[in-house]
Formats: sequence, structure tokens, C-alpha cells
Amino acid sequence: MQTKILTEFVTDPQQHRIETAVSRGAYQAWEKVVREIAPDDLIELVKKSGIRGRGGAGFPAGVKWGFVPRQSPKPKYLCCNADESEPGTCKDRVLLENDPHRVIEGMAICSFAIESHQAFVYIRGEFVLAARRMQAAIDEAYQRGYLGKNIFGSGYDLDMVVHRGGGAYICGEETALLNSLEGDRGVTRIRPPFPAVEGLYGCPTVVNNVETLSALPSIVNRGADWWAQLGTEKSTGTKLFSLSGHVKRPGNYEVEMGYSLKNLIYEKGGGILDDKKLKVVIPGGSSTPMLTPDKIDTPLDFESVVTAGSMLGSGAVIVIHEETCIVWVTELLAHFYAHESCGKCTPCREGTQWMYEILRRIEHGRGTMEDIDTLLDLADNIEGNTICPLGDAAAVPVISSIKQFRDEYIYHIEHKKCLVKSDFRLR
Amino acid sequence: MILSPQAREKIVAAAKQYPQVKSAILPALHVANEEHGYVSDQMYREIADLLDLKCVDVAAAASFYTYFPKAPRGRYYIQVCRNISCALLGARHLSTYLQEKLGLKELGETTPDNLFTVVEVECLGSCTTAPMMQINDDYYENLTKEKVDQIIADLKSRAPGR
Amino acid sequence: MADFEITIDGQQVPVTKGQTVLEAAQAVGIEIPHFCWHRHLVPVGACRICLVEIEKFPKLQPACATVAGEGMVVHTDSPQVIKARQGVLEFLLANHPLDCPTCDQGGECELQDVAFKYGLDYSRHQEPKHRFLVGPESTFDDLRIGPEIIRSQNRCIHCYRCVRLVNEAFMEDDLGAYQRGCHTEIKPPPGGEIRNLYSGNLVQNCPVGALTSSDWRYQVRVWLTKQAQVICPHCPDGCNLKLWTYHNRILRATAAGNDFVNDGFICDVGRYGYQFATSPDRIKQPMIRKAGELVEATWTEALEYIKSQTNTLKSKLSGSGFFGLVGESSTNEEIYAFGRLLRRVIGTNNIDHRLGRKRKLSLGRQVVERGIGSDTIEYADIEKADVILVIGSDLHAENPITALRVKKAIRQHGARLILANPRPTPLGIRAAQVEVIYKPATEVMFLLGLIAALISEAGKKPEAIDLEASPIEEFRSKHESSGQAAAICGVAAATLEKIAATLSNAENIVILTGREVEQHPYRDSIYLAIGNLQSLCRSACFAPMPTDSNSRGASLFGAEPDLLPGGVSVDDKAGYEDTWKGPISEMVGKDTIGILDAIAEDEIECGFIFNTDPIRVFPDGNQVKSILEGLKLLVVIDSFMNDTARIADVILPLSSSLETEGTVVNWEGRLQYSQAAIAPLFESKPGCEIIELLADHLGVKFNQPTPTDVYREMIQFLNGEMPAQTQAIGREGVLIKSTEKKAVPDLADIKYTPYSEDNQYPFVLLVGNADHHRGTLSEKNDSLMKFTSEPFVGINAAEADKLIVANGDLVRVESRYGKVVGKVTILKGFADGQVLVPDNFIELCPNLLMGRQEKVDLVKLTKM
Ligand SMILES: Cc1cc2nc3c(=O)[nH]c(=O)nc-3n(C[C@H](O)[C@H](O)[C@H](O)COP(=O)(O)O)c2cc1C
Ligand code: SF4
Ligand code: SF4
Ligand code: FES
Repeated sequence: MQTKILTEFVTDPQQHRIETAVSRGAYQAWEKVVREIAPDDLIELVKKSGIRGRGGAGFPAGVKWGFVPRQSPKPKYLCCNADESEPGTCKDRVLLENDPHRVIEGMAICSFAIESHQAFVYIRGEFVLAARRMQAAIDEAYQRGYLGKNIFGSGYDLDMVVHRGGGAYICGEETALLNSLEGDRGVTRIRPPFPAVEGLYGCPTVVNNVETLSALPSIVNRGADWWAQLGTEKSTGTKLFSLSGHVKRPGNYEVEMGYSLKNLIYEKGGGILDDKKLKVVIPGGSSTPMLTPDKIDTPLDFESVVTAGSMLGSGAVIVIHEETCIVWVTELLAHFYAHESCGKCTPCREGTQWMYEILRRIEHGRGTMEDIDTLLDLADNIEGNTICPLGDAAAVPVISSIKQFRDEYIYHIEHKKCLVKSDFRLR
Repeated sequence: MILSPQAREKIVAAAKQYPQVKSAILPALHVANEEHGYVSDQMYREIADLLDLKCVDVAAAASFYTYFPKAPRGRYYIQVCRNISCALLGARHLSTYLQEKLGLKELGETTPDNLFTVVEVECLGSCTTAPMMQINDDYYENLTKEKVDQIIADLKSRAPGR
Repeated sequence: MADFEITIDGQQVPVTKGQTVLEAAQAVGIEIPHFCWHRHLVPVGACRICLVEIEKFPKLQPACATVAGEGMVVHTDSPQVIKARQGVLEFLLANHPLDCPTCDQGGECELQDVAFKYGLDYSRHQEPKHRFLVGPESTFDDLRIGPEIIRSQNRCIHCYRCVRLVNEAFMEDDLGAYQRGCHTEIKPPPGGEIRNLYSGNLVQNCPVGALTSSDWRYQVRVWLTKQAQVICPHCPDGCNLKLWTYHNRILRATAAGNDFVNDGFICDVGRYGYQFATSPDRIKQPMIRKAGELVEATWTEALEYIKSQTNTLKSKLSGSGFFGLVGESSTNEEIYAFGRLLRRVIGTNNIDHRLGRKRKLSLGRQVVERGIGSDTIEYADIEKADVILVIGSDLHAENPITALRVKKAIRQHGARLILANPRPTPLGIRAAQVEVIYKPATEVMFLLGLIAALISEAGKKPEAIDLEASPIEEFRSKHESSGQAAAICGVAAATLEKIAATLSNAENIVILTGREVEQHPYRDSIYLAIGNLQSLCRSACFAPMPTDSNSRGASLFGAEPDLLPGGVSVDDKAGYEDTWKGPISEMVGKDTIGILDAIAEDEIECGFIFNTDPIRVFPDGNQVKSILEGLKLLVVIDSFMNDTARIADVILPLSSSLETEGTVVNWEGRLQYSQAAIAPLFESKPGCEIIELLADHLGVKFNQPTPTDVYREMIQFLNGEMPAQTQAIGREGVLIKSTEKKAVPDLADIKYTPYSEDNQYPFVLLVGNADHHRGTLSEKNDSLMKFTSEPFVGINAAEADKLIVANGDLVRVESRYGKVVGKVTILKGFADGQVLVPDNFIELCPNLLMGRQEKVDLVKLTKM
């Protein structure tokens, strides 16, 4: 079965140009939507496809759009979340750089469904090429009348703006993204109100991930049923997985939801680097709990990964082999969260830094036995008590690594060194 | 006036894209950074004046992000990804290798010829092509020692005055 | 009225729709700790100390940001809540320096209080504490971030109250949060300082000792102090202050919570303006002029001297040879007793308090009879208004707390502020929807233009306004269109139309005027025009802002020649004679202008000046001085040595307003009680005691040496119920309503006369307040002098270029009446041909340049 849907043409270096894209069917779905489908029907269609958000939380896209008030005196906005900064994740970049017209078409379809006339794509600042390609593609789309005023003579207007971030992981969180887009510091907002009701500039706003939106042209072209029969019952369609770390063939792989973790690593990825033994897999980006090799048969869909004790997250599968110190890995991740905390709420601002400092102490041979329980308790005091999920995410690696590798922590503290030294060199 | 007329024009044009001018702060910072390689207090003030915004908003927003250095840096700003996927494939070694090669004692330092500054940063979203680094706008991926040697040699030869 | 109930810790708690769980709990006395929540700010749910358990919610919820929903079951002390709360506290304390022994906040620190009550007695944090250092070499984190504010970032708990107050409540721009995560720092913008007029509120509202003010730092432990509730003496807003004293020294002032009035805030002038009490200018003991020199004397000597001199003069003159002037910052009791002294003891009705104005002092008959400006408006009305029209007032500088209420109306329900002034004012940049700059002295034309535009607007929407009520045809025949008026006042017709449209759509309009109108030669015409404007709007109230802290009390308690306490005409004096146990003079009293003229004509030879300095405040100070020098006997009762005191024959040292209790009336007409914060300093005596002594020496004993005694007698002359004791006056005070009359329009009486220009004196003189100054009292406070230390001569860049001067260069400002010298300051947005001089500094008093009869004061500038 054909599973390359979103990434079908990404390897073609010409695909980012509008002639190439259009010759392969780009904007057909868009034209169909504008000419033939009413916004309400479009939302129904997307609901029926069952597509769930690809940005991490897996919320059904159609349902989210349904929260946007139909009758609103205020304008409505769409923000495409292209802040992709979750460690391990680099799937959106592939689409932005190589098939920008698919992203634009997806954004246009969503805008039409929620009756928005301005859409923003928030691209992380470091993705310079992606921003250039998107801007060029948007310009081309304006020239061909796919964007701008009176699209396809329908009277529908749509503007699209590329907004570049400034280097802050938290700006991928939807409310921080909105603040950042408004020109404020990229700190989060409490919810409710949810963006669908009060988002950008206080107006109803949908925030969707690049991948989520990029699936829309195919869903419109080939039908909700077609998409729904791909994948599993509750996790429909295909998903992009960024396979990285200790594998022979790292890369972005688009497979059907429910594809097994084992096959991803061993078939697509060619197995563990240097034929070492697998130690642990982080299945959904750095914010998801680690899975040990006994979970290798887990199907990669939202439900199964939860059953296995983790989360599908952004679909970043990070493979870690036996010669890796788990304390070192956790310290690395803890440093990341401390560095990226927006600083608004207390548990995350103070707790992430504190956890990182304890882990650094342990890693450098200055840990005490109490540290382990302190870490667990601090993580517990953060988890669930913060404004946004970054706090929870920071607690995750600490809790999951201690739960699964407590012995290694103890060894580290007793012997003041790693059980296995992670000395990875350039090749 | 530090920002050139062209830069100012770009900033004003960017502001027109948004329903509210304040949204143009990030685009303005990018324009300033592209032109100068850093964004100073004086530039914050110029941006604020140009867009009729409060200076405090520009400065406070700028300080939140890591992308806009406050002081000049080398012609080639090398950001080495230090996060998990790259770390698993030698990122730490990559940055020490660069430091040794360029004779830098610490991260954040600039070579005496003002060509290179090396820093470590968090995940750059290139995890499947680790280890990697960003030099100015460009990503350099799947790095090996030979590749790094080649890249540095190329950049040196491209630099003016060679 | 409660809309529904929720359950908190097993207790049924009533909730009004929209209330948060925290607010509902607070209302019934259930305590939920909070840091980032502030009742004037939008909840941000940042600190997480208020987390509570709500049944059916998957996670703990911040009580401060969770709107109570019907049937919610909340637990504030479940094991889960207690653990989370202790966790948050442990996080907050992890990097906190715990330098409590040397922290000024100790004893009033919210972090201490919450930790004391809910925290653990140990910490697991072993890492080196994160330190914010001020510079690369510093080991020390105190950073001065404003003239009076010091920041200790290490103590900050990141509640962001300060930054949010600056943004949301004050609409200022001098503080922000920088960096992110645990490096987040609170700072002014690069190269700047916190200098906004409300900056001290940041210190007061910081829950910890991260922001402290230099006046209070390291002075005393807070629990050793005493506190007094005082009404701020600096402006007619009437803010409630709490003065903190230690051994009869005032160490700081804070805002006392009073939602009727200042809503928990005060401006910096009030906050730091207590230092005048110990100013070197204080008059420390009585003085008598002997052989041309003022020499120190005892109270007995001074009083005896006054007695003998007065008796000599009295045998020669009738009561009409005497006068009294009283300052508008005196208390009601002082004003009442002073009036009684003059009318009953000395036998004269020559008494006045109106010194800042020239030409016409009393309101014209048309204005009074039509009841214009007599609407009773409270702060709460401003808060509710949907359109606020401010004319001729630098509201920010003249009435800072009123300005804050305007901002609150804007913030809470998008009220629109329309500002009309001859010059740009700070509120324009910060909060105004429309800022109109009209040509000096054209207020009347601006208003006529607005009326014309309103009439044509009403024509479009006949249902909106009762056209019948307005004599429109008559108006049309006189003033053709808004276009004509626009040309004269310099405001675009389109702007007038825009404002008219806003006004005609509004449900609740509040109109305020300030100093520029109050001091205007055509004040009455402006009032009449406003009265007409009111009648064209659905609901518009108008309050003219008085000039000084107790101006309203002064006119209410008998300090105008023709009015006895309670506003009763002198003709109806019988009741007063009963109470005062003796006759009141029959003569027609003179007002300030009449008094000065009479002195010049030698009709008046003796005067008593109580707590004011006419030479400094009345127009043409040089002339006032030479007139007063002609007196046979001048008795000055004041706290400070000033120009008038310097020419006095006898000076009696008056205790300052902070050393005496009494009541005052703010702009709303709210009578409030002010305690004495400290005992009288030096040999000074409180006003009521001095007046009693004078009365006694001049032959009538009232036996009312204290304000309480005077108050008890005084209130019988007020309409309505008054608390019998000053102490019984509550937070709300007593709102003294004017006899409300519906404003009746009559366009016929509005007159506009242009002033004639003068080539020799090409500039129009405008007078205002310098930043952090108000009136003549503010320069006696060191803290305020840190904000602006000297006067300036403000002109625009074009005029500066013409004069070839730059910022700081000296210029001479000269009129027909006098000249002064000052440093140039270039002002943005200022019109050509205008010059602004603040009247807060003794070195440069703009009143020297004013002519008593001039409609507009014209001056010329010369480079020095
Ligand atoms: C700390 C944090 C970082 C996030 N980063 C991203 C991101 O880079 N890209 C993204 O699409 N969603 C990100 N999310 C999820 C967004 O908040 C949001 O759920 C998502 O953009 C919604 O789109 P979707 O429904 O299409 O997944 C992040 C969430 C958190 C808490
Ligand atoms: S959890 Fe962290 S990132 Fe999220 S709001 Fe709180 S401080 Fe900011
Ligand atoms: S300085 Fe004070 S008010 Fe401001 S954020 Fe810190 S603790 Fe809160
Ligand atoms: S008071 Fe509720 S989160 Fe701070």
C-alpha cells in the first residue's frame, strides 16, 4: 500500500516551485473547496477523516475547528505552527522546505473552513531556508491567484504571512506562539479562554501543526473515508516519524499509523548503529517517556503508545543504544527544559533549573542517594501544576528514567561515574 | 542612525502585513540582525521609534529570544546543536573539535581575525541528519571530521582579504 | 446579589457570576494564598501558590484564574493541594536569598507570611543559589532602577505584578521583564529608569523586598512604627495615605486602601510628599518685626503684640479696614474658625481663598442659576463612564488619581477618552482615543464647534437627542457651522464631527475641566458652552476640577466674602450670630481682587494671611508685594518662610497639615477625616489652636482650641446628616452634594472674544506642573526633587531654533509685568508661539509674568 502521501514528492528538488507542484496536482483541492464545499461541510469532512493534530497533543483537527464561533464580529485567524523545536523532531521542516505549496494549500483549506481571511505561518527563526521557500511559494501563489483577493472568482479573500520566530522552544506552545506573534515576549497564557475563542489579538484563532495542515489537500482530494481507512480506527492516516539517534539509516519516514516501532527502527532504519544493543527508545520527542526494548513491538499510534507507557507526541523516535549513560541523557534533556522555560510559572521556572543542577551533580560524581528521591518529588511537584505542558514535559524524562533505570542512578552516585560512558565521537 | 534606510523600509513594509504594528517587532529584529549580525539597545530604540512602539516592548521581547546576539560576533556564527540526537552522534566532540581547530578557549569566543564564533545551542530541528551545525543562515548536516575541515577551509578561503 | 453557590471546604459560598474561586473564597473569609493575583490586574495564574482541587477537574486549578461555576466543589486543604502548595513554596524559596534579617520587607512580606503559614521548615535545595549580579564585578545585587526605587532581583518571586501594573493599570512604559526562565529579570528599558508618576505603587505592591524605596530603606523595622490615616494635601483628588512614623518622624507614606477614592493607589507626589514637614523652610517659632528686622519671639510676646497693634488700628478703622486670606490646603476647621475670627471677632467680611485666579473670581449668575458644573460626580461615575471628555486639564499632572480612574474605565470596558488642551499632555500619548490641541484661549470656539457638529449629528439620528430642548435655530443664526469654529480654534472640522459622533452614541458621558479652564478669563462662557453641550447629549455630567486640595472646603466653610459656612449668604446671618454669640459684620465683603485694590487705596490697613503666599501665587507677584508692603499690620500664619511671610510684621508658626487633624473636601465633594501623623514640630501650633488664641486675645473666647471642637459646631451649618464626631467619619467619608439643578441650555449667552496679539510679546504663556510636582509644596520634598529639580522654559524645537538655543541654555522670559530667567527645555508636539513654565519652583514663578487684567499672558523670550 502507498503510504507516502504528504512526502510523496519531497525528494524532488523542483517540487518547491509552483509549476512543478501544480503539475502534480497542487491547489486542485483548494479550487474544489472554494468552488464546491461550504465551510460547515468542510469541517464535517475533516471530522469524518478522523485526522488528529500532529503537533503533539493529538487533538482531532475538525473538532478544534468546530470550536471557532461561526458568527463572530471579530476577524478570525489561522496560525500554522511551524516552530518545530521539540528535540528529535524535524518532520515539518521537510515539508516546509521541499513541498511548501502543500503546506500553503492546507493552510488555505483550513482558513476557508473557519472563515478566516488571514493566515500566519510561524516558522522557527533558525529555519532560514524554510522561511525563504515558504515566502517564495506564497508569492507564487498570490501571482497565480490562489491567494489574495477574490480567489477563483468566489469573492473569498485570503492573505498569508510568514512570521519568523526568534529561537524559543516555548513559542511552539500555542498560546506562547500567539503572544510571540503579537510582538510580546513568548510567554504562555492561561486557558481558558482557548485560542479558538480568544486567540490572536483576542480573536478566534486556530493553531495547527504543519503536518496536520499538509494532510488536508489529500483528504479533500481523495475523501475522508480514504484517509480514515488508513492507520488505525482512532489514529487515522499516515504519520511522519523522525527517526534519529543510534540507527543506521536515520531519516523522516511516512508510514501508516499503527506501524510497529520495531519495523521503523529495524526495517526503515536498518537497525541499531554498529549493531549495538538497543537500550531505550524515546518514541514521541523528548517530552515523552522512554520505552525499554520489551516495548519494541508497540504499534505507533496514539492509543498503543499510551498503553505501552509513553506518548506518540510529535513522532520523533529517538533511538539510544547500550553504550549510553541514562543520567547523561536525562541531564541533557533537563538542561534543555531549564533553558527553554518561559519563566512565567513558578514550578517550571525554578523546578527545571533545580532538577538540571541535581542531575549535573550526579553526572559529575557529586550526587547523593537522597537526590534520586528529591528528583522524583520535584518532578511530581512540577507535573500537573504548571500553566503549560512544558513543565510536565520536563518532568517526564526525569521520572521515566529513574523509574526504569534507578540502578544506573545508584551506580552513578556510588561510583561517582557512569555505568556506561557515553563518549560519542565524530566519525 | 544605525539601521540603514533599506532596513527601515523593510521594517515598515513588514509592519503593514499585520493587523497590529506590535507584531512587527520580531520581523524588525530579524532585519536588524541580518544587517548587523547583532541587535543593540540603540537598534531597539530605533525600531521602537520607527514603528511608534514602546522601547521597553522591543527590548523585553528581544531579550526573550536567543536568536539575536546583543554584541557583534564573528563573520561566521557557528551554532553547534548540543541536544539529544546530535549528542548521541558526537555533538560535544564536534564543538570541542571546532574550538581546537579554530584555537578558541571557550564557547562564545570569536577568533582574532573576527571570522568565527562558536556556540552551542539547543535542538535545531535537524535530528535525522545529526550531528549538525548552523553557520549563519545555513545548515551543515551529517558532519564528520573531514566535512568540518572542508567547510572551515571553504569559509576561510571565501572570506574577503584572502 | 449571589447568582449561585459553590462549595469550598464544605462551606456553601455565594458567587456572583464571573467571580473567580479566589474572590468567592475571600468574600467569606476563606483564605487561599496568592502572589501574582492583584485585584486591579487581569489574572495570569503564574505563581501557582493558589492551586486548589476542584472535583471533576483532572488537575489542580489556580483559584485566582478559575471562574467559579455553579455547583463546583472546591478543596483548599486536601493533601494534594497542600503538597502542591508546599512544592511551589519550596521552589520560590530555592533561589531566594533568605536575607530576611536585613530586608526592609521583613514583617510585611507576603512570602514570609505564606511560608510561615503553609511552608516547610526545611529545604532540600543544596545547589549554589542563582545570583543576579548588577555588573560583571559586583557581588551585590542592589540596582537603582528609578530615582527612588532600588531593585534586589534575587528577592523577586516573579509575580510580575510590577510589570503588569505599569502596563495595565498605569499605561506607562518604563518597566519590563527581560530574558526568560529563571533568568527573568525586572528592569526599565535600556538606558531608562522607572520615572512614572505612580512608580511608588510598584514598591508598595511588590509582595517581597525586591523593590524598595530609598526613603524607607534601612530606617526602621516596620513593627516598631505607628501609622496614621491622612488625606493627601497635594491635590483635590483626596487620596487616603497611611503615614508610618517612628519617634515623631515620618518615614514613609503608602496608599491606604479606599475604593471610594484612591482605589489602593497614590501618585508619587503624595507618596514622597510628606518630607515638607521637616523642610529647612519651616518657621520654627513666632517672629516679630522690630526695627525693620524679623526677630524671634515667644508666643506670648507675639500674641500680645498682635493684640495691641490690632486694638490701636481697630480704634481708628472699622472692620472694613481689615482682611483675611486663607490657603486652600487648610482644613475645613481652620477655614471655618478663621472665617469666624474675621467676621465675628475682627468684624470684617473681607475674606477670600481664591488666589490663583485673576479677573473674575465668583461664578456668574447665569452659570450658578443654571446649575452648570454642580452635578455630583464621584470616582465611581468616572469608572462607569463610556466617554470621558477632558477640557483644559493636564489631568495626569493635576489629578493623577482621577487620571488613573479614567485609565481604569478604558481598561475595563473600553471607555473612550477625548482630551482637549492647548498643549499636548501626558495622558494624550498614553490613553486618549482622540487628543485635540486647540489654539490658546479658544475653548469656547472649540465647544461651539462641537455643539454645531452635535446638532447636525442629531439631525441624522433624531431619536438620539431631544432636539426640542435645544434652541437650535437661534444657535444656527448666530454660529453658522462647525467649520467656522474649527477655523478659529484650529481643530479640524472632521475631528469635531468625529468627537460629536462619539458623544452622540454615548450613554454615560463625564466632562471634566481643569486648571486651564478654571483660570480662564472667559471661564463662565466655557461653562455655559459645556452646559449646552450637556443638554445635547443623552447623559452627561460635568465636574470642574478645583485647583487645590481643599478648595471645595474653603468655599463651603465660609472663606468667600459673601458666603457663610454651608454656602449661606451673609444676608442670612442670624442663625450664625446665635451660635457665634455676637454680631457679624453688616458690610459687603471684598474678594481677593477687591482687597488688594482697597489696600492700594489705603482703605484696608491690616491683614491676616493664613497658610498661603499671595506674592507667589497671585498674578503679578511684584505688584502684590508692593501692595502688601503698604499695610500697617500684616500677620502671617504659616508653616514655611515665604515671600509674604518675609514682609510680615508678625509671623505665627503653623503646624503643617501632617501635624494636625481635621477634615477636608476633595473634588467630588467628599468630606474626609485626616489624622495627625505626628505631634507639632518645633514651636508650631495647629491652626485651630492659633485661631482660638487670636480670638481670645482679640476679645472673644470660643473655647474651641481643637479641630474636634470646631467640627462639632461647624457641622450644624451643613445640610444633611453629619457624623457627630470626626472619628466617626468612615472610609466613605461624607459626600456633600451640591443642590443639583438640571443644566438648562441657553446658547445666547455664550461669548467668544479673541485676545489681541502683541508683536512685542509674541509668546503665549502656559503654566503647568513639572513632572512629579504639584503646586508650591512639592519642591520641599527631597525625593520629589530627584525627579525634577528645577524649573524650565518649555518651547518647541522650531522656536528654539529661531532663538538659537538648545536644551539647557538660559533664556529670559519677559512680560509687561516682570521677567524671569530659566533653562530651555525643548518639548515635543508643542505649538509655535507657546511657552510652558511650571509653577512649582521658587526660582521661577510664572505669576511674576502675569497681569491681573490680561486675558492671555503674553511674553517674549531672549537668549541670555
Ligand atoms: C512546550 C511546547 C512546545 C510545542 N511545540 C510545538 C511545535 O513546535 N510545533 C507544533 O506544531 N506544536 C507544538 N506544540 C503543540 C501546540 O501547543 C499545539 O498543540 C499544536 O500546535 C496544535 O496543532 P495540532 O492540533 O495540529 O497538533 C507544543 C506544545 C508545547 C507545550
Ligand atoms: S510550564 Fe514553563 S514554559 Fe510553561 S508556562 Fe510555566 S514556566 Fe512557562
Ligand atoms: S519585583 Fe516584586 S512585584 Fe515585580 S515581579 Fe518581582 S516580586 Fe513581583
Ligand atoms: S495567585 Fe493564582 S497563580 Fe498566582
